Amino acid sequence: MSRRRPSDGVSDGLSLDLFGAEPAAPARREAPRARAEPSSPAPAAASPEFTIPPLTAAPEPHEFPGSSAASAVGISTLTTTAREVLEGAFMPLWVRGEVSDFKKHRNGHWYFSLRDESAQVRCVVWARDQRNIPAAPDDGTQVSALGQVTVYVARGDLQLTVKAMEAAGDGLWRKALELARQSLERDGLLASERKRRLPRFPRRVAVVTSPSGAALHDIISVARRRWPAVELVIVPAKVQGEGAPEEICAALEMVGRWKDADVVIVGRGGGAREDLWAFNDERVARAVASCPIPTISAVGHEVDFTLCDLVADLRAATPSAAAEAAVPVHADTVAKVRRLSVELRGAIGRRIAFGEEERRRVARSLARGGERLLERRNARARQLAGRLNALSPLATLARGYAVARSEDGSRTLSSVEDFSEGGSFSLLVRDGSVDATVSRVKPGGTDNGPAQVDGPETVDGLVR
Amino acid sequence: MTFEQSMDRLEEIVALLDGDELDLARALALFQEGIEHLRLAGEELERADAQVRLLVEEADGGFTLMEQDG
Repeated sequence: MSRRRPSDGVSDGLSLDLFGAEPAAPARREAPRARAEPSSPAPAAASPEFTIPPLTAAPEPHEFPGSSAASAVGISTLTTTAREVLEGAFMPLWVRGEVSDFKKHRNGHWYFSLRDESAQVRCVVWARDQRNIPAAPDDGTQVSALGQVTVYVARGDLQLTVKAMEAAGDGLWRKALELARQSLERDGLLASERKRRLPRFPRRVAVVTSPSGAALHDIISVARRRWPAVELVIVPAKVQGEGAPEEICAALEMVGRWKDADVVIVGRGGGAREDLWAFNDERVARAVASCPIPTISAVGHEVDFTLCDLVADLRAATPSAAAEAAVPVHADTVAKVRRLSVELRGAIGRRIAFGEEERRRVARSLARGGERLLERRNARARQLAGRLNALSPLATLARGYAVARSEDGSRTLSSVEDFSEGGSFSLLVRDGSVDATVSRVKPGGTDNGPAQVDGPETVDGLVR
Repeated sequence: MTFEQSMDRLEEIVALLDGDELDLARALALFQEGIEHLRLAGEELERADAQVRLLVEEADGGFTLMEQDG
């Protein structure tokens, strides 16, 4: 049993006489129930073992220090010894009370009182212990604090050295979250205009999560089902417990340095609030916000949003939902490409069929004179309107295009099928027609643009 | 040119061709470009299945993708 030596030079003998190791032991075993009644003697003094001779030479028992004015002990001896007794008598224990006089000292430590209706005790939280406490409590907060009862020797005050603290209704957690949220908001990191559009067709998806977690399994299976050729790249990080925020930040920074991912999913499966806490760490939120690659946050099945959710470009409710948001369905994309192919061919066909510009010009002039014409000669107006479409190809011819037609002018020739080598056809141009002969027909692949007739390039019956 | 860029450009080309303002030569050039994007997109759609890999940062600052099971 080793005890701290009093600091004022009092001998071992004195210390042992007053509060020797043997007598102190029973009191420690009953620590939580120990009472330090001001009117009663120290527990050691009541012990029958008190008379056991000290190990070293010492004053006679009836002359122990403090028993007479002549042997009065120093105040340091008193308070230091009182501290040792109290620390030995009390296990660390949870106490509850209301916080008052809270002060953050510039040395980093927190000082405050805990009180109820009729009593109070001074408390301290050393700077190194503050990481176990989500946020500093406000005055008036009802808390439970885990602390070691001791004596602040310099003042002789009873003091509770607090190592952990919880507030009713998760008050401290909520406060910590709110403080971090405000800090992110001040820096503009929550602004909706910061949100980046996710790639629609990512080739590489980075996944920052625990390599052994259910989240990764879900993301892999969903992503591979949707598009098996999408590359999933795991960037492992611890997602809960000591060191998790640091690992998540480091993984996100690594993805940023790598730069070869199109989108990054950061998250984990569901869990208790403490398990998800890393994703409420302000450092993690800032790492997500500063990631150069679009981010999807996927934390658990929680209804509550984490800070990580608030700064990510997209918040997915679960890891599976994140994979769905990141990776398109292959079959849908095949259909989309087919649709675009049809639309592209349709659009060029329509564009060639009508000399839109010219047609609109005529339509405008018709509209200007239209009302008067209608008043006077409705029949004439209808006739003009009917000519609109007929005008259209002529306007196209005026710009240097020609229409290939069969010799008798009855059909428009728009395909290699319509031509035969040596055959004759007619080219309609701006100011007349030209008789022509086919020297060679070259069918072209349909994916390689319009079919080619030897000589002029033709598209749907137009020749340039 | 990524698949994403090809798809974006294809949609843009279709929208341009459906608009009113193009002369025919420009329309034909866009059509040819669209056909090329369709070809690239088709290649991407046929890409082989990928493995899940692990990102590893080397001491020299380079990156390696390690094959993973699963």
